Amino acid sequence: MTHVPNCPIIKLSKDDMSKQQTEVPYGTLDLLVLKSLDTMGTLHGYAISRRIEQVCGDDMQLSQGSVYPALIRLQQEGWIRDDWGISETNRKVKFYSLTAAGRKQLRVEVAKWEKATALVARFLEAKS
Amino acid sequence: MTLRRVVGRLVALLRKRRLDSELEDEIAAHLELAQHEGISRGLSADAALRAARLSLGAIQPLKEEHRDSRSFQWIETILRDLRYGLASMRRTPGFSAVVIGVLALGIGANVGMFSLMDAVLFKPLPFADPARIVGVWEAPRPGAVNATKPPEFLEWKRLATVFEALSAEQGIAASLTGQGEPARLFGKAVTADYFRVFTTPVQFGRTFSSEEDQPGAAPVIVLSHAAWQVDFGGDPNILQRRPLLDGQPHQVIGVLAPGAFDRDETRFWKPLIFTPEQRTAKLHWLTVYARLRTDATLTQARERMQAIHAALTEASSVEDRQASIVVEPFDRLLVGPGLQRSLFVAFGAVALVLLIACANVANLLLAKGAARRRELAVRAALGASRSRLVWQLLTESLVLCLMGAIAGIAVAALLLRLATPLLSESIPFTAAVSLDLRVLAFAGLIALAVALLAGTLPAMQTAFGSLAESLNHAARGSSGVHARVRRLIVVGEVALSLVLVAGALLLMRSLLKLQGLDTGISTQNVITMSVDLPLGAYRTPQQAVLFYRSAVERLHAVPGVTQVGMATVLPLEWIGNGEALQVPAVEKLVRIRFKRVDPGYFRALAVPMLAGRGISTNDVAGTPPVVVINEALAARLADVAHIKDPVGRTVRVSVPGYTEGTSSMPEVEIAGIIRSERVSSPGSPDPPVVYAPLAQFPTPQVKLLVRTQSNPAAAMPAIRQAIREIDATLPIGDVATMQQVRDRTLSGSSRPAGLIGVFAAIAVLLTAIGLYGVVSHAVTQQRREIGIRMALGARANHVLSQVLRNALSLVAIGLAFGLLGAVALTRVMKSLLFEVSPLDPVALTAACVAMMLIGLIAGFLPASRAARVDPVLTLRDEG
Repeated sequence: MTHVPNCPIIKLSKDDMSKQQTEVPYGTLDLLVLKSLDTMGTLHGYAISRRIEQVCGDDMQLSQGSVYPALIRLQQEGWIRDDWGISETNRKVKFYSLTAAGRKQLRVEVAKWEKATALVARFLEAKS
Repeated sequence: MTLRRVVGRLVALLRKRRLDSELEDEIAAHLELAQHEGISRGLSADAALRAARLSLGAIQPLKEEHRDSRSFQWIETILRDLRYGLASMRRTPGFSAVVIGVLALGIGANVGMFSLMDAVLFKPLPFADPARIVGVWEAPRPGAVNATKPPEFLEWKRLATVFEALSAEQGIAASLTGQGEPARLFGKAVTADYFRVFTTPVQFGRTFSSEEDQPGAAPVIVLSHAAWQVDFGGDPNILQRRPLLDGQPHQVIGVLAPGAFDRDETRFWKPLIFTPEQRTAKLHWLTVYARLRTDATLTQARERMQAIHAALTEASSVEDRQASIVVEPFDRLLVGPGLQRSLFVAFGAVALVLLIACANVANLLLAKGAARRRELAVRAALGASRSRLVWQLLTESLVLCLMGAIAGIAVAALLLRLATPLLSESIPFTAAVSLDLRVLAFAGLIALAVALLAGTLPAMQTAFGSLAESLNHAARGSSGVHARVRRLIVVGEVALSLVLVAGALLLMRSLLKLQGLDTGISTQNVITMSVDLPLGAYRTPQQAVLFYRSAVERLHAVPGVTQVGMATVLPLEWIGNGEALQVPAVEKLVRIRFKRVDPGYFRALAVPMLAGRGISTNDVAGTPPVVVINEALAARLADVAHIKDPVGRTVRVSVPGYTEGTSSMPEVEIAGIIRSERVSSPGSPDPPVVYAPLAQFPTPQVKLLVRTQSNPAAAMPAIRQAIREIDATLPIGDVATMQQVRDRTLSGSSRPAGLIGVFAAIAVLLTAIGLYGVVSHAVTQQRREIGIRMALGARANHVLSQVLRNALSLVAIGLAFGLLGAVALTRVMKSLLFEVSPLDPVALTAACVAMMLIGLIAGFLPASRAARVDPVLTLRDEG
């Protein structure tokens, strides 16, 4: 079985989870979340997960719920912050936005990612 | 993981509930939004919700992942176990109280003992870089040390480059007058480098400068912090004051910061200024300490000092050349081998107490585990792994142990409060006994060790036993293995207790032997005190003689006083080495101890005369000088000079002069021989002693001995008044009954070993609890059996004696092992005992009998409960 590299598959069993974490680069989902917030500004959790779904299309299997663990992680790192707001359904929800540190982190992550993909691409294109 | 993240995760631990509910809200909002969107796409409300749920994913794992990534799961698990442990503690308060009580005793005794050991043996001395402080002594023969002569000291100071500083000191006492009741202060005359050896910060002012120990320097003193507080009321202007010491004003130049010296008897320091005679006289009277240079080692210092000594004594007598120089680390000098041994034995004893406490707790936990097998079986059936159960049980024991340790610290504080006053005389002043962080850390470690030691076996037993069976059977009887383990533990406890009790009884017998030891004097109703005549007011020996005479007269007039004596050194107290006796025409000098006494001394202490006469009131200045010698010296004279009957013979004796550092060697006649009075601790032979009449050889420092008809302490006010009437400025110091002096000499350094008595008592109590627990558990388990037997006609007596027999057989097996243990410890005990064999049959038998009695008492309650079992009830109950 092969994985789509940039869209982690979140399995349900906790034990499998930990194995997944070692296989899939852990920051990938974080990168997607950061990029979404960078592009769209302030979003609530549902909007973030929809945004990732829309951009990635059908190529991936991501349960929408997996953004929440990523969100708390990013928040603890100080890269995003949350503010209470009112949703379209008139409910109090948390809206997330990038912090300055988060913007910087995104640049770092993107640069890292581009470097890695460029490297792999060059390797794959290389003829004997 | 970044530090920020770690902090975030730790914070999340505390905000668990809030974060959980926030996630709950977010999930609800998420579903609502997704449903809303589905409906707007034309789905029905139900279908939209289903779709929303599907794309969100499973909620429970999501929550767990959220928890995982926001905090430390393992900490949460431990916290949950701890909470569970606390809850289960609250569910069984009786059990928890017993376990915590047992642990409090065991851990408390250990923590207390450790803080004592730590203070005396392990903590660095309270001086800067204490490892570099050394004592420098002359050793006339291996094993003996001698004070130093000023000329030698001055040469050492000039030549010994291995030392950063070298100082000489001498203990002095001075009367502080001019501010109310005269006080007698102990102090030290020290050379100016003293505070460079014992570096101590000052509260204010300064310590001595190098000119201040030179002839002609103004009289100055440095005060200890305690002296400043106690004797000078903490006067902030102390540096402007010139207190009268021995009638002479002294400028206070500094007050030390609070510290180690406050526990010492030394209250002040003044410069030691050598007189021209002292600089050259070959008298040994200085104690020398030094601070090693940072780049010098102890070995280098020893070699260097040896070389210096060899060079200095090249031209001296054979005797001088034989001597070597000893350089010993200061901490080694502070704690003698006796005290060290005594502390280690006490610590060993307290470790046994801890083992017994552990055994007790293990036993209790096993019993509780047996009662909880059903609960655990249910948890295992619901999917808890065995290791999870073991961890949980261990965490529970840890909770108990931590509580026990906290209670134990309180017990330790109490023990120290009670024991420190009794022990303060036996431990060096540098030892600050307190429950500091080191001690608390030790308590924590002990709690952990106990949790592992006492908790592992029960946890394994409980969690790995055949749990399934406990579900099938209504856990009625405990499994055989289980009960056997518990009985084994009790046997071990009995054995350990016996070792302790036997040890305590041996020490007690040894103490009784010491109490009954014939010291050659009668100590009953004798009180002693010291009086120092200040040289300023008592310039001439004649003035001192006048004082002696009027003191004796006045004291005799005090109601209740029957005898009065005077001496330079109290009986049973160590007399300094270094004086010599010369028999005419015999070249070899006889080393003697020298003591001045008045005519009343031998009478007051009821020391019998063996030959000749004692010192009479006619032996005064102007009459031919006489001395009295002790039996030991008579024997020595017979040996060295073949003198059969020394009475009436004339010899020469070296006599220290009226002022320090002077000496003469007059011709004296031996007037009589007394039976030897003990001079130092038991075990060493009586040294040869010369007693010279105070009136012929006066000295300003004397001790008074007053015998009264009844309690001598009651006469003290009148005694003080009598002295005050002679000289109102004379302070009286060191008031102690002769009995106290005797105790100090005979059992001083072995006193910490007396703690074994306390530990043995704790051990016995713990063992009784353990035995009671096992027997009473067994009785509960066997109620049905007992009920059947009684239904079949067994009598209550019978049941009682059977249960007791079971208990006593456990004790008996334990005693057998315990006796083996006592035999194994023979060598350790031997060094602490005085005229008692470590295998003393009386003590061992008494210990065994005591343990048997304990067994009877601990077994009797459950046994009588068993005997009262109503067969009808028990059989109906469980039938």
